[in-house]
Amino acid sequence: MRPIKQNVISTAVIATVGLPFVVLMIWSFSNRWFYPELWPRQWGFRAWDYVFGTAGFQIMAALVQSVLVAVVTALISVAIGIPAGRALGLYEFKGKDLISVILTLPVIVPPLCVAMGLHLWFIKLGVASTFLGVVLVHLTFCLPYSVFVLWGVFSNYNPDYEGQARSLGVSSWKVIVRVMLPLTFPGIVVAALFSFLLSWSQYLSTLIIGGGRVTTLPILLFALMGSGDRPVAAAVSIVFVAPAFVALAFSARYLGGKSIAGIR
Amino acid sequence: MGDLILKNLTIHYGGEPVVNDFNLEVRNGEMVSLLGPSGAGKTTVLKAVAGLIKPSKGEIFIDGQPVNNLAAEKRSAVMVFQKTLLFPFLNVEQNIAFGLRMQGHKDADARRRIEQILQLTELTGLGRRKVHQLSGGQQQRVSLARALVLKPAVLLLDEPLSNLDANLRQQMRELIQDIQAETRITTLFVTHDQAEALMISHRVCLLLNGRLRQTGKPRELFYLPADPEVARFFGGCNFIQGRVKDGVFRSEFANVPAPQANGNGHLRTATIRPEDILLSPDANYGLHGKIAKTNFEGSATRIWVNCRENRFVVLTSDNDYTPGQKVRIHLPPDKIRIFPCETESV
Repeated sequence: MRPIKQNVISTAVIATVGLPFVVLMIWSFSNRWFYPELWPRQWGFRAWDYVFGTAGFQIMAALVQSVLVAVVTALISVAIGIPAGRALGLYEFKGKDLISVILTLPVIVPPLCVAMGLHLWFIKLGVASTFLGVVLVHLTFCLPYSVFVLWGVFSNYNPDYEGQARSLGVSSWKVIVRVMLPLTFPGIVVAALFSFLLSWSQYLSTLIIGGGRVTTLPILLFALMGSGDRPVAAAVSIVFVAPAFVALAFSARYLGGKSIAGIR
Repeated sequence: MGDLILKNLTIHYGGEPVVNDFNLEVRNGEMVSLLGPSGAGKTTVLKAVAGLIKPSKGEIFIDGQPVNNLAAEKRSAVMVFQKTLLFPFLNVEQNIAFGLRMQGHKDADARRRIEQILQLTELTGLGRRKVHQLSGGQQQRVSLARALVLKPAVLLLDEPLSNLDANLRQQMRELIQDIQAETRITTLFVTHDQAEALMISHRVCLLLNGRLRQTGKPRELFYLPADPEVARFFGGCNFIQGRVKDGVFRSEFANVPAPQANGNGHLRTATIRPEDILLSPDANYGLHGKIAKTNFEGSATRIWVNCRENRFVVLTSDNDYTPGQKVRIHLPPDKIRIFPCETESV
């Protein structure tokens, strides 16, 4: 029974997730491929040549920019998410329901509205078209997720661990580093990864707030798509997906078997 | 090594007083049980001693020093929680070394102490194991070792045996007893299990509804309960009422000499343990009774006997009785305990 079930699942996963990548790969290795034909008329490395050669510097710069923005966003969203998640997960206080509604707002409201609305404010504050501005607007989308993930983590967290550590001679500040962070680490990694990937794939908000000054990979990708050169766009897409894919695979392997809450 | 003194301890939790005006002295090297039903405030007292809860009133002295304003990590009292709470990201040895490392002990010294404690808690050879590879009993011993290795003045144990099955619990009880006898560590042991408290401790302290009801040697609490509630907690369920006249407690069931009882004609309550009541199918005794119910409990049978207005519970090893049977019962006067205080009703 089980092997069949597993086969069905893995086939479904490969068909839905893998197939588009195959098409993408074929595109990136084709020089000429016209509509009704099943295979490219001419194979070649023109697109990859463009990605690593002609536009190599531009793409590398965008890649670095994207990584920087995503890493900084992920770090900040976890740094805010941990205390917030702890408060929401462990303590009872008034307005807890209201907070969860407010937290979902940036997820519900279309990103265009959020970015447009914030743009005016960011111009006034002088952070429009800056790295900081882009990180801040990404945070509005990442924070809800990171807070929700860590809220769940801390709902399963037993604060008696900290009492036990205090009794064993750890000061209240050291307890955070010695006990709380190690216990919740898998959950923190998940929250950070969520934020990283969300920030990584932001296009609209980066475009509006960054104003073309902060060129992340999606910005470059859309520009290339617009130019109509499908093979090049496909190659850049693969470059775009690769780091996120590596991050995901790494964390899946690392977190494998451990519960997300990291406790019990 | 040291003693522990709690003076007029009152602790509020969410506005409600959980512990009220609590006094206790645990002498150096003594093992005292804090006994009470769940929700009586036992763990709260323990947490206050450990420094994890701030009492609203009263003082705590460890080793003669007032510790009310001392942070938990600076107190020489280590608490072992009910759940083992071993750190899953550390192995057995690292878990035990946790407190030592935090106190900055040197490697060689720490290693020697860990080896010693592993031996004492019968964990030798398990040092490199991961926490989740241990059985429940082993985990509990690691948790105990982790506290013992710090050689605190006072060890606070919060129902360390409640998560273990019956056989293991008995073994662990003996282990804790042995370790305590060997290390002579002052121990405050919290439990809701009266048998455990009676067996393991030098003195027992009964806490009901946040108030101290009686402190004394296990035998004293068992045989000389201070009031009906204490008696009831230890399984006493037979109460009779009578009046004291001329140094004798007179009731319809028995007359008991009570030379120390003062006051003439006052209503008093007395109790007798179910295993002390004598039961006979023949006309040996003076009181007539009728069996209402029997319950076989293994080593003994519990029998409910209706006698006049009272219903007595009798524990006997004899299990030939059937409901409805007419019997005679006898309440030996020397087994009857008359409560010192005056009671209007039970």
